[in-house]
Amino acid sequence: MGSRMPAAQGRLAQGGTRDDGIGRRMIVVMVLSCLAFLARRVEQLLLLTGINAVAIFWLHRGPLSLRREMRTFAWQTAIILGLHLFRFRTMAGLWLGFKVSWQLFLALLPGMVFARTASQSGIVRVLTRVMPGRAAFVLSTCMRFIPRLLGEIKNIYEGQVLRGARILPRDLVRPWHWADLLHCVVVPAVVQGMALAGHIALAARARGFERFPRRTCWPGE
Amino acid sequence: MQLDEQAPLLRMRKASFRYPDAAEQVLKDVDLEIAPGCCYCLTGPTGSGKTTLARILSGLAPDGDGGGELEFAPAVASAAMPVGLVLQDPDVQLLASTVGAEVAFGLENLGVEPAAMPERVSAALTAVGLAKAHDFPVDKLSMGQKYRVLIAAHLVMEARLLILDEPGAQLDPEGLLQLRGLLERLKAAGIAVLLCEHRPEPLLAVIDEFWQLTGDGRLQPGRWTGTAVPSGSWPVPSCAGLSEALLHAEDLAFQGADGQDVWSGVGLELRRGERMVVTGLNGTGKTTLLRCLLGFLAPSGGQVSILDGLPEPGRLRGRVGLLFQNPQSQLFENTVREEISFALKRLGLARSTIAERVSQVLQGFGIEDLAEASPHKLSYGQKHLVALAAVLAPGPELLLLDDPLAGLDGYRSQEVLELLVRWSDHHNMALIWTSHEPDLEYPWAHRVLRLEGGRLVAA
Repeated sequence: MGSRMPAAQGRLAQGGTRDDGIGRRMIVVMVLSCLAFLARRVEQLLLLTGINAVAIFWLHRGPLSLRREMRTFAWQTAIILGLHLFRFRTMAGLWLGFKVSWQLFLALLPGMVFARTASQSGIVRVLTRVMPGRAAFVLSTCMRFIPRLLGEIKNIYEGQVLRGARILPRDLVRPWHWADLLHCVVVPAVVQGMALAGHIALAARARGFERFPRRTCWPGE
Repeated sequence: MQLDEQAPLLRMRKASFRYPDAAEQVLKDVDLEIAPGCCYCLTGPTGSGKTTLARILSGLAPDGDGGGELEFAPAVASAAMPVGLVLQDPDVQLLASTVGAEVAFGLENLGVEPAAMPERVSAALTAVGLAKAHDFPVDKLSMGQKYRVLIAAHLVMEARLLILDEPGAQLDPEGLLQLRGLLERLKAAGIAVLLCEHRPEPLLAVIDEFWQLTGDGRLQPGRWTGTAVPSGSWPVPSCAGLSEALLHAEDLAFQGADGQDVWSGVGLELRRGERMVVTGLNGTGKTTLLRCLLGFLAPSGGQVSILDGLPEPGRLRGRVGLLFQNPQSQLFENTVREEISFALKRLGLARSTIAERVSQVLQGFGIEDLAEASPHKLSYGQKHLVALAAVLAPGPELLLLDDPLAGLDGYRSQEVLELLVRWSDHHNMALIWTSHEPDLEYPWAHRVLRLEGGRLVAA
């Protein structure tokens, strides 16, 4: 009697490694993101939102809290609406801003959910099929350290607020305060980002990264 | 090939190194030998070249001019990665999301066949005493466990010498205790260890030999003479004159993303001029507490009153200072003078007042000669001082510091501490200081509290 591989184990990929369906999920995410830029009419955006809801359920293999994503969407919408109001000063302009924000959200949401639900080693395994192993590692490591960098930026932001920088949301309503944001947060954040990249690169080299021409891939858990 | 227990694993002769823009060599004629199964401790002030030496030994020399010889025993030289280097902050070295993938990272780089990896990963995890499944997320490990994963990640590549750069800067006493037990086992297995550490007390039992970088680039045999932790002779602080409450928190609670309480029932009162220390192991929520007190995070329960009002960051500008663990990340101006004057400009002070205040601060911190220097080109310790000076310049009534001495040597720590205590006394400034070292003494503090088991209790 033949035995069946459990679904969660996934199929074997190159070199005897499993991809857990990450390749398929990655393709779906890219297609959904591209469709968001093509959708212009409200009906199309509504249809795409519905498809996204189903896709998110599939990506996560169950219901998923989108509180964090919705907060990002709310901020993004507020900024885009503000800019459109400033530019057009009409309800039509506001509606246009809302549609742009909606499109952007639909373009980014699948990727955000995918990054939360796919394992890093799984992503590397899939990426190594279409790009060199080192490039795949660098790309996946960048994704892994984004939260760390955001944490560092948060520290910088909070310290600078108390030093008097006019960078609280209510301060940034006035465009002449944006210079403070650039000067006290963006500049140190870039410096920190470069330092972080240096530390990560050193840690990787300390474990033989780039020492040998051929790189293999962890077969998965 | 078996190792000769008497022969050195590695021999360094007449090693020297100079950074591209430096006038002086950071290492001069360094000779050393490392024997199997021995633990060495390299001490020296911040910036004396400990990390540079560690990087050269592990084949990761930074850009610069170097000279000298580095010779490995034949059995070691044949290994792909004979020297393993674990840097200071485990979090920036964890490159994968699961324990298995993390330990296997080196094997991937060595081109080991995937089918052979799980067994070698399991053996390395057993060697460091970490019984975790390969799919266990690294983000859920304690700091001590993360450190052990990193050591396993080098052992899996058959490292014969492990270099650990300042483990004490991040690990709490529990993590250091686990590390001590692991180092004992590694030594017994013939693996040599080099600790670059200026506060080695918790690991003294495993150290066989001390070396010291003297600050002029020379390496000398060392001898551990006692604590490098800031101590000094402080007058016993008295709470007698402290009356006006600056900060009052009642029944404060905070829930993490998983809905569990990080801490709850927290109550504290801080008076003007009072110095309070909050200690706690890694991950107990010390930084979260500071953020809640300042209004950057909303607590899940309880109330905070700070400077006669609600904790609103906008209201606290210039009146409260905040320094996180890596203070130099707050530096952004072109000169030290501009860095210190930034907050004063935002307070709307007159130019002459700003100039006068900046001069006072520069003088008070003993950094007048750095006034026109770029903050980004200073040494680690100097950046620390400038960041602190910049925060204190507006004369805050309350200063919150999150583990401010991490990574500083004994001398610099003492210097920073003396400045803070003197400033606090002179300006009647209150202070909340968090630390991951509950066992240290804080004779300069009026009160020491401990975050433990989700509660804030008297230490």
